[in-house]
Amino acid sequence: MESVAARIDEVVEEFADLDSREKLEMLVEYAAGLEPLSPAYEARKAAAEGRIHECQTPVFLWTEADGDGRAHLVADVAPEAPTVKGFVALLAAAVVGRPVAEAAEIPDDLVERLGLGQVLGMLRARGLQAITARIRRGFAEAA
Amino acid sequence: MPSYAHPEVLVSTDWVAEHLTDPQVRIVESDEDRALYVQGHIPGAVEIDWQTDLQDSVERDYIDREAFERLCAEKGIANDTTVVFYGDKSNWWACYAFWVFKLYGHENCKIMNGGRKRWELDGRPWSTERVSYPATSYSAQERDKSVRALRDEVLKHQKAGKQLLDVRSPEEYRGERTHMPDYPNEGAVRGGHIPGALNVPWPQNCQEDGTFKEARDLEKLYIKELKMKRRSPTIAYCRIGERSSLTWFVLKYLLGFGNVRNYDGSWLEWGNCVGVPIVKGVEPGGSVAAKTAPAAAPAAVPAAPEVPAPVAQPPAEPPSLGFGTAPETPPAEG
Repeated sequence: MESVAARIDEVVEEFADLDSREKLEMLVEYAAGLEPLSPAYEARKAAAEGRIHECQTPVFLWTEADGDGRAHLVADVAPEAPTVKGFVALLAAAVVGRPVAEAAEIPDDLVERLGLGQVLGMLRARGLQAITARIRRGFAEAA
Repeated sequence: MPSYAHPEVLVSTDWVAEHLTDPQVRIVESDEDRALYVQGHIPGAVEIDWQTDLQDSVERDYIDREAFERLCAEKGIANDTTVVFYGDKSNWWACYAFWVFKLYGHENCKIMNGGRKRWELDGRPWSTERVSYPATSYSAQERDKSVRALRDEVLKHQKAGKQLLDVRSPEEYRGERTHMPDYPNEGAVRGGHIPGALNVPWPQNCQEDGTFKEARDLEKLYIKELKMKRRSPTIAYCRIGERSSLTWFVLKYLLGFGNVRNYDGSWLEWGNCVGVPIVKGVEPGGSVAAKTAPAAAPAAVPAAPEVPAPVAQPPAEPPSLGFGTAPETPPAEG
């Protein structure tokens, strides 16, 4: 199974060939693929657990390690925020099943490497950077 | 029953559905989250983004006149085109784009009442097609200073005790936080409000379905309860000028205020300025009170007692995302 770094490199390469519109389409596609929360996580969400407060979209994130120390990013993002939802889904796909220590090493300049700064503008891009940082930290703590 | 002062600036989703292919009409979507447009837009609508299209990427200002002309030309908007704006968040960003178009003197601007939410509730179709129109030639006017207030003008206005409206959340107004609840800190180093400003959080302009409140409800709020005067010069502000462009729209076009400007620098500028007056707490405070108060009394200002401890904000926190869902007590959008 590919490392997180290798998976990220692939996504970066894929994004490199896309124009702005296609990048947004790709995020919408990722967003549609984000798995809905299981009932257990729905309950935790209802208890207002996992809420990312620096994020203006209601985003719920759990950076989990299974019994074998494999990373799972569980997330719920409001449908009216497909950019955030797509970005989180992309990260979830990049880390799933890999050791948490690897997941903690998602590049912190990923937003720029995906070319999203230009597509979204600086303010929105900073929001995604904050989410990246939060996920890195979460997995680092889980490691 | 009172009606809006300028009802012609609002169109319904029905009206838009009937004018989708009208060559005199250009439908423009402006959203907090750009991917919403990609996910599905009103058939034939173009997107104009507040951040990447309307703001200058170097100077902290809007694009200049030439860039605005190029933008309109690219989007197939001519000087005589009727431009209808709509978007997410009860038309926050649509009002913001509308305001920028007014800044450059575009004559026929309208808002589709209710925005994306109303279109969705009406069960109307979304399109994912790529939209383009033959380029036009557009000639913009010089910026219209009557819609925009700059910092020094706000300072003068404030000192003269004229009508000021703070449309942020009560927590931001009181100075407990420098950004919207659940939104990241945009980077203001001081919290509170401009002395004299009344606080009417923007959601109070809107209804559940994203449409504006009826004229009588808006009148009740601004005229009867707050005793605001239509003929007095008024300035509205928020954090980055977007929520206040919605209130600007309401005051100017729905209530018929004669002289209302949007302070787009808003709290992100004011809260970082050296030497400008700031008041914390629930009371407006302000120079009017200060003038009438005995010299020694420091105006009826910081109502500190009921204010909880300020929310700690590390100064280097990243600025806002500019997308996402509604803030506190939203009337529309979950």
